[in-house]
Amino acid sequence: MSDSSASFLERHQFLIYRLFSLAGLVPVGAFLVVHLLTNASVLAGAGTFQSRVDMIHSLGPLLVPIEWAFIFLPMLFHAAVGFVIIANGLPNVGSYPYVGNVRYTMQRATGMIAFAFIIWHIVQLHWMGKPLGGGQFDPHRAASSAAAALQHPLVAILYAVGVLSTVFHFANGLWTLGITWGLWTSPAAMRRANAVSVVVGLALAGAGLGSLAGMLTLDRDKAQAEEERMEKRKLQFEPAAVGSPEPAAHTGV
Amino acid sequence: MITAAHGHDGDASHEHGHIPAARMVRVRVLRQDVAGGESYWERFEVPYEPNMNVISVLQKIAALARSRDGRRVAPVAWDCSCLEEVCGSCTMLINGRTRMACSALVDRLVEEDGEEIELRPMSKFPVVRDLVVDRRRLFRSLERVKAWVPVDGSYDHGPGPRISPEEQEDAYPLAECISCGCCLEACPQFTKLEAVRREDESEADFEKRRRAAFDSGFVGAHAISQAMLFNGHPTGKMIADERLQALTAPGGIQMCGNAQNCVAVCPKRIPLTRSIARAGRAATVWAIRKLFDR
Repeated sequence: MSDSSASFLERHQFLIYRLFSLAGLVPVGAFLVVHLLTNASVLAGAGTFQSRVDMIHSLGPLLVPIEWAFIFLPMLFHAAVGFVIIANGLPNVGSYPYVGNVRYTMQRATGMIAFAFIIWHIVQLHWMGKPLGGGQFDPHRAASSAAAALQHPLVAILYAVGVLSTVFHFANGLWTLGITWGLWTSPAAMRRANAVSVVVGLALAGAGLGSLAGMLTLDRDKAQAEEERMEKRKLQFEPAAVGSPEPAAHTGV
Repeated sequence: MITAAHGHDGDASHEHGHIPAARMVRVRVLRQDVAGGESYWERFEVPYEPNMNVISVLQKIAALARSRDGRRVAPVAWDCSCLEEVCGSCTMLINGRTRMACSALVDRLVEEDGEEIELRPMSKFPVVRDLVVDRRRLFRSLERVKAWVPVDGSYDHGPGPRISPEEQEDAYPLAECISCGCCLEACPQFTKLEAVRREDESEADFEKRRRAAFDSGFVGAHAISQAMLFNGHPTGKMIADERLQALTAPGGIQMCGNAQNCVAVCPKRIPLTRSIARAGRAATVWAIRKLFDR
């Protein structure tokens, strides 16, 4: 196609693909790291997790616009371009079963799994927890409500698959991003960067699965009592901080 | 597959006699009579000889011009030239993987994959006939990235700058590219473009349309690597920006999906992924420069 007839997407292909690559690291990837580490704090107790959630929700009315600008929109952009890339590729791991090629195929598979998982994850914790034996996430009952939503064994398994897919996608994407932008160029540098990506991936997988295990083994009554104590304390000192009329509108951790 | 020839093989048994039974090499070829036509499998059997390669098997098939079931068939068409893995013209899919037919030894193939040897034309280029494909897109990619040193002109440019041994050593592996297309065939991001001439279309219009399709498709690892070779050359780098412009145009470096199959199948072991990463770095710097310097 000549320049005049080429589509907008084609004319700006380089820029779009580079922004796609960048978005995978910041803000989407960075959010994933923060999110998994925040969740893993449940291992230190319901109170620790609740205080982390309170910190995020202290943004108050700014939380929703921040989430859209720095999480949802970049993620939707990354996903939209990702689906275009997947549609234009022709995986051939059957004929060429090299490690790099397996990773190429996995990157696409985990990207699609992560996309489906994240949509479901948001919908489940906001609107449809109960049919699957869970409940809505309540930022004032952070650990106990999240734990309740994850109780169904099928939900727990889906979370494990979803979290591991997302973490693989991020860690492998970290490595390919470095090649795309030209950070590591020699085979030796690529191997070293790969080792770092593996470590990052394993650490995040540990944080993700740790969060899940922490939620599943939580004593929900004890957690709820702790959360109620914390809420009373907050009400006592700064009543305005808790007076949100619609907790379900919050989309945070 | 190497087997003993059986007496009921018709003509073959007359040619080679009943005793002793000759070892035979079995081949399955995906044939196509015309460009755009239907493809079909045909099986052949040729007498085994030590140290045969796929080209010598194809030569015997051509001499025999008979399928395994004894029918007279047109000889299988294929491309080859140098027979020593430097011309790059005999690329095909041998047992499902892209490689040079001249360096594919029958003994090795039977040992590794067993049974029958399967030959298919490259899948990323339009088939001209049988195993012959049209690789014009591969060469068009080299034109897109200006894979040459610009020295043409009406006056003597004088001697070029000296190149240090270190630079030579860095560049030499890239200069070994034989344009065989293995990297493109194995690349999951490089997909086939086959333009078919419309009835109401003139030859010139068709050529224009095909060229346009080539020019927005992925350039491929070979062209990216050649762009890096010439951008590293002291005279070649005079048009480095033009090459980077081409590498960041639609179908450029951004189409790489980092599967790294290119480097795994390259018969010349060219560090293609190093070239791709270097091109990525050059494109990063170039794009930033373009953004802030204009």
